[in-house]
Amino acid sequence: METGEEHKSPPYMIVFVVLAVLTVAEVLFALLFTGLPKFWMGVGLIFMAVWKAVLVAMYYMHLRFEPKRLWILAASPIPLAIILVVVVIREF
Amino acid sequence: MSTTEKDIASAVDAGGQHDHHEIPWIRKYVFATDHKMIAKQFMFVSLFFLVVGGALAGMMRFQLGFPGQPMPGAGILPDAMMAPTPNGAIMLPEFYNSLVTMHGTIMIFFAIMPLLVGLFGNLLIPLQIGAEDMAFPRLNMASFWLAVPAGMLMLASFAVEGGAAGAGWTSYAPLSTSGEWTGVYLGQQLWLVSLTILGFSSLIGAVNYITTVINLRAPGMTWFRIPLATWSLFVTAVLILLAIPILAGALIMLLFDQTIGTGFFRPEVGGEPLLWQHLFWFFGHPEVYILILPAMGITSEVLSNRARKPIFGYHSMVLALISIGFLGWIVWGHHMFQSGMNPLLGTSFMISTMAIAVPSAIKTFNWLGTLWKADIHFDVPMLHALSFVSMFIIGGLSGIFMASTPVDIYIHDTYFIVAHLHYVLFGGSLFAIFAGITYWFPKMFGRMMNEPLGKVHFVLTFIFYNLVFFPMHNLGLQGMMRRIYDFTQYDFLQPLQPMNQFITLFAFALITTQLLFVFNFFWSIFKGEKAGNNPWKSNTLEWTVPSPPPHGNFAEMPTVFRGPYEYSSPESDDDFLPQTTPPREGPGPSSGVPEPTPTPEGAEA
Amino acid sequence: MTTITADRAPMAGMKVYHLKLGMWVFLLSEVMFFTGLIGSYVILRFAHPEAFGVPGEVLNVPLTAFNTFVLICSSVTMVKAFAAIEQNDQEGLQKWLLATILLGAFFVGVQAWEYTLLASEGFVPMAESYHAIARGAAEGSEVIGGPLYGATFYTMTGFHGAHVSIGVFCLCFTLYRARKGAYTAGNLGGVEIMGLYWHFVDLVWILLFTIVYLI
Repeated sequence: METGEEHKSPPYMIVFVVLAVLTVAEVLFALLFTGLPKFWMGVGLIFMAVWKAVLVAMYYMHLRFEPKRLWILAASPIPLAIILVVVVIREF
Repeated sequence: MSTTEKDIASAVDAGGQHDHHEIPWIRKYVFATDHKMIAKQFMFVSLFFLVVGGALAGMMRFQLGFPGQPMPGAGILPDAMMAPTPNGAIMLPEFYNSLVTMHGTIMIFFAIMPLLVGLFGNLLIPLQIGAEDMAFPRLNMASFWLAVPAGMLMLASFAVEGGAAGAGWTSYAPLSTSGEWTGVYLGQQLWLVSLTILGFSSLIGAVNYITTVINLRAPGMTWFRIPLATWSLFVTAVLILLAIPILAGALIMLLFDQTIGTGFFRPEVGGEPLLWQHLFWFFGHPEVYILILPAMGITSEVLSNRARKPIFGYHSMVLALISIGFLGWIVWGHHMFQSGMNPLLGTSFMISTMAIAVPSAIKTFNWLGTLWKADIHFDVPMLHALSFVSMFIIGGLSGIFMASTPVDIYIHDTYFIVAHLHYVLFGGSLFAIFAGITYWFPKMFGRMMNEPLGKVHFVLTFIFYNLVFFPMHNLGLQGMMRRIYDFTQYDFLQPLQPMNQFITLFAFALITTQLLFVFNFFWSIFKGEKAGNNPWKSNTLEWTVPSPPPHGNFAEMPTVFRGPYEYSSPESDDDFLPQTTPPREGPGPSSGVPEPTPTPEGAEA
Repeated sequence: MTTITADRAPMAGMKVYHLKLGMWVFLLSEVMFFTGLIGSYVILRFAHPEAFGVPGEVLNVPLTAFNTFVLICSSVTMVKAFAAIEQNDQEGLQKWLLATILLGAFFVGVQAWEYTLLASEGFVPMAESYHAIARGAAEGSEVIGGPLYGATFYTMTGFHGAHVSIGVFCLCFTLYRARKGAYTAGNLGGVEIMGLYWHFVDLVWILLFTIVYLI
């Protein structure tokens, strides 16, 4: 959102490069390191995916440049999503 | 800062779609964007569905009161519903299943929810926060015009082959996944499609309410000066926003199971029926609070006004609303204690469910505190609000029975549950709806509802309601299961026949009594006593504008200086202080009460 | 009668304008919608690990990785369109919007092609006719996973694809309005909320790709 005299345009291209590199890294990680325990494989992949998702939200969706209260609003469904999945998984 | 100016410019452009010309008839009454007209549209449509739902309940009660006997006048119904015999038409079990399902669905999704959220949300939110309309008036119109086809689809499903959906309003899998089990194919799919459309309608309504409450408050209308009705509708909108999509996802998966043959919830191909229950109740329990929170807000408003006292503990009321709204997300498993769930989960759900009693009790005691030593005016809205409080206590206490897993084993899926849910939904929500309609009727139509007629309606409804639903606790404890077509097939239930007949007779009386309300409603629209701007001497902003309010509501931007419930304040010569009254100069005579600080730009807080 | 719109600070409360706040609020419900779908997949997979395949066995990971890259590119072009209109660069706005539309449509096209490839290998959502075999394996080889695999896969990616398709239609409308000069540096709400939706759809795909294809 912030542009013009006071702020440079956010580093859109740098974010793009990071996203592309992370995608390649994810694919290689998943296809090459098949010997890793499933758990650590999952943790590593989820970590990279969440990293990418946060980058998109922060820079492309401009959350970084928004008021704090919008952050809180945007994050509000995440606990509910975690509650749903974590609780129901305990059933099985 | 340049950004701010840009934002303002685009926002003004986005919101500047008010036309000041004569509005064509079709835009004013049919495809209306004015929030008050949309509220009225929701009211008429959902009152119609309330009648439909009541008729379905009447037919069910006939079957339970007189099992297997021909129903008078039922010969006009098609043979697929009523089997013709020489003595008259007898209800078929499949049709009874449809009645149970559709009564629940229609009452919850097409009557109570649109009355509370569609009617009061649209009517009250902009008026109470001092806005000219909703943030997105055209989305608001879309919300109504999506709800109408959804309702039509739901009704149309009675006419298709196989009849309407018959797997209960909860549509538990695998009963609902295939027509083999219920004999209902297309009806069940129409049910799913209709609810998905209605869900989308509620969703865009919720987006509108949330944006409006956050962004369109008048200067000085800080969060803790918002009237409780609007507060409750705001929390409700958040629940709708986050719960309905889960339902939509589950409905779509179930629809796929039925139509293209996926296996999400079909155990015969490796699916998980339990997943449906979890998804449904993850939506379903917030839905329960969607149905009760606005009723609580309406009650708070009416109680405080008609008791002429500030609401007891305004802040704790708001915090209780918010905490009920949050706790509603972690208790859904208490609907599933009998599903064979993980005992660890069962115990945690039991504890979290009982925790909800705390904010609910806070609200109840605050209402009682409001009534304590008050100058109570027993007019029709107040009578309904008082019965809301008392019935909600009964319904809440019977809820504690179900919340504890050991007791629930015994009463699960019996008429005890039926009694409980009707105590909170009819005794709670519907009484609050009556309170709300009679209270805001003058604002909607510029006329008062007839008082003596309203009182007769109230007294009869209250008596008949309790005679119908209280004995159901007893039926349940004696083991009569819910959704049963003919309980006399069990020897141990046969002694319950007289009590069922008793309930049925009073259910008919209860339904007949509602004609009084219908008559009063329409008569008062045309012939009621003219009401001024503020017939109840209320403080909130909607009573500062003409009745009915003009397009755009406020001739000039109201500025809010105080909270909504300053009744009988020593600061005023009259017994009320509208929110727009500026504070007096110098120290007022009310030394004990801290003066609210005037912060016209407080809307930022 | 005058309305009071003009007297109001239009960004009271959340300090963002109505359209943007409305879009964010709507996106919250989208989060919950995809939580329902993806969460069901995670739960079902946890409950029945044998009903799902390992990465690359049935699904074509390289093709989808390329498609993921396409969608990320479309996010960049979208944000470039927004940056252009911030500078009141009408030509840039239209150029980048068009690029976004093409990339988005390409993504949907590749996804449709992928669906036909998978279906030809017996990877279908219908439980009764599910008989997925490993990629490149001969007809009649061992069936991998179970009906839940096909059902969850097509539901999740299908609804994501539907979101992309809706996004492409909305982008076409945005482009149409942009060509009529509807947006300026002072009035870019329409472009910004379009971008929010588009980036959200991209964000969902990033998570979906990892959870469905790689884990």
